[in-house]
Amino acid sequence: MRPRARPAPSAPLFAATFEALRRACVPVLAVLLTCLGLLAAAVPAVSANLSLQAVNADGRPLRGAVVQVYALDAPAHHPVPEHAVMDQVDRTFAPDLLIIPVGSTIVFPNSDSVAHQIYSFSPAKRFQLPLYHGQPYPPTQFDQPGIITLGCNIHDQMLAYVVVTEAAYFGRTDEQGHWSADVAPGHYRLTLWHPRLRDSLAMLEQQVVVTDAGPATINVRLKKPLQPAPLTDRPYSWEY
Amino acid sequence: MGILIRARVGWLPWLLGLCGASVDATDWTASLDLRLVDSNSDRSYLDGGQGATRWDRDDAVIQLDRARLSVTQSVGELWSTHVDLSAWNDRGGSAIGVTEAWALLRPYPFDALRVRLKTGVFYAPVSLENRASGWESPYTLTYSAIDSWLAEEVRTVGSELQLEWLGTRTGHSFDLAATAAVFGWNETTGVVLANDGFLFTDRQTPIGGRVGRPGDPPLNAAHPFEQIDGRAGIYGGLEARYLDRLTFRALRYDNRADPSAVDAASHIVAWHTAFTSIGARLETQNGWTAIAQWLDGTTTISPVGFSGDWPYHAEYLLLSRRSGRHTFSARLDGFRVDVQHAFDSGRQSGRALTAAWLFDTTPNLRLGAEWLLIASHSYQREELYQLSPDTARSQVQLSARYTIGSH
Repeated sequence: MRPRARPAPSAPLFAATFEALRRACVPVLAVLLTCLGLLAAAVPAVSANLSLQAVNADGRPLRGAVVQVYALDAPAHHPVPEHAVMDQVDRTFAPDLLIIPVGSTIVFPNSDSVAHQIYSFSPAKRFQLPLYHGQPYPPTQFDQPGIITLGCNIHDQMLAYVVVTEAAYFGRTDEQGHWSADVAPGHYRLTLWHPRLRDSLAMLEQQVVVTDAGPATINVRLKKPLQPAPLTDRPYSWEY
Repeated sequence: MGILIRARVGWLPWLLGLCGASVDATDWTASLDLRLVDSNSDRSYLDGGQGATRWDRDDAVIQLDRARLSVTQSVGELWSTHVDLSAWNDRGGSAIGVTEAWALLRPYPFDALRVRLKTGVFYAPVSLENRASGWESPYTLTYSAIDSWLAEEVRTVGSELQLEWLGTRTGHSFDLAATAAVFGWNETTGVVLANDGFLFTDRQTPIGGRVGRPGDPPLNAAHPFEQIDGRAGIYGGLEARYLDRLTFRALRYDNRADPSAVDAASHIVAWHTAFTSIGARLETQNGWTAIAQWLDGTTTISPVGFSGDWPYHAEYLLLSRRSGRHTFSARLDGFRVDVQHAFDSGRQSGRALTAAWLFDTTPNLRLGAEWLLIASHSYQREELYQLSPDTARSQVQLSARYTIGSH
């Protein structure tokens, strides 16, 4: 009779080690699986592309239009408040328009050597801000949604807009009048606005259902031409 | 040229800083405008003659048109002050002086309403062409007949209240403004118009200055800014703007002078001068500007033993095209002074055509060329100077203006 092979002296040690590892991995795996589950719940399993193509009444691309997409029946999506900058350069606002989520702040640095007196009497945010070069002023917080018109009490030609939004997705149309975003499938309300718009806002509002079957595209054509753009070739010193 | 100016005014921000003002809130401009002139005009009104232009046939070719320094200084958050100082090639003894000086109270807008109160010396809101710094025209070298008259003898020395509705800041296409003013030291306004008729100039009479040759008024020169009877003048105006494209202005002006008043010491007579002005300015995206302006009024004197009215009327149409750094402009002026008294003294009528090219070679240097033709009929020329009452006179100017300032 052949003697039974004697187990290697280290076998109990391996078994113990394996058992220890197995016991240690169980909670780690459980935590990993829980995290993955939470992530799966937070991020939609699929997203779809929502795009907008906007044209003027004459068929040319509508540049710089503000697009706001509100969730009607869709997973919640809350953009994070931003810290934006609205500078004053050569007696103009730069940029000419900002879109920020509710709760964001804007700093007005004034890169000009001359003083400005920024004001807004728009209901969403009333404020007055004297700006002197080299004298920083604390950021201004914007807590209410709405369109805010900015002016300067010294230089009347200065004009800019701040759009404070509660929308889930937002942006401006590009040079081709195009805007797009990846959104969760669902039911949305889309609005379009432009500082020089003559059309009724209600006429430009649309509802759209986005599915994971493919991209959703909205085409908008203005009924009326935009108001004339501000003239830009006049020296600041001219009386307006 | 630029170095010289810089050297002269380089101390300005420093001085304002010493005065406790915020240098950052100081806006200043200094400029020097030199001209090459050629005119076949009769002796200029500035030299006691009947020529309707600033330069005449006896003038040297090279002239100092204007040396200017202006400072606008914010005082605190709500106040702004402005002084415009100019030196002119002036034969009448007003070679240097202040053309405008004012303090402006400008509270922030309340809702869409804004109030502004300006006190000091300044132009009434009439001109639609003289919109550039220093009340200069960015279209031509020589002002229109209407604005030449304002430059010579119409200035507000008082307070002006303006109420604006800022519709363009509330989603509308229009801004509206109403203006009312009370002023004094304008009881001799009208004397230049009655004596010399409408003129074509870019010389602005400084406050306290004179129009004409050296010597005492009324024989030699006119003093447009005098107070004789103590009665305040008033004006009221309206302005409407469609975006930044179309501006409409209307103003009713009345200096409310007592036409029978005579200053006992100087024998200067008070001129009751009133006018209505209406104008519109249209600007397009592709650089075109059109301005139409109309002014109609009367000036009256009635010292003991004499009574006379001089109804006057002027209008112009200006077309201008801005292309890059070039501005091409043409203006057609019409003007007329009638007379309602025993003599025809002061009767004048005519038309003028101005063509100008302005070239901003750099942000500091502007070159310009202008041709001006005036065809007019004047009673004064025939009766007082034994000249033909009908004349056609021309003036050619080349300009080089160098400007520096805060930016």
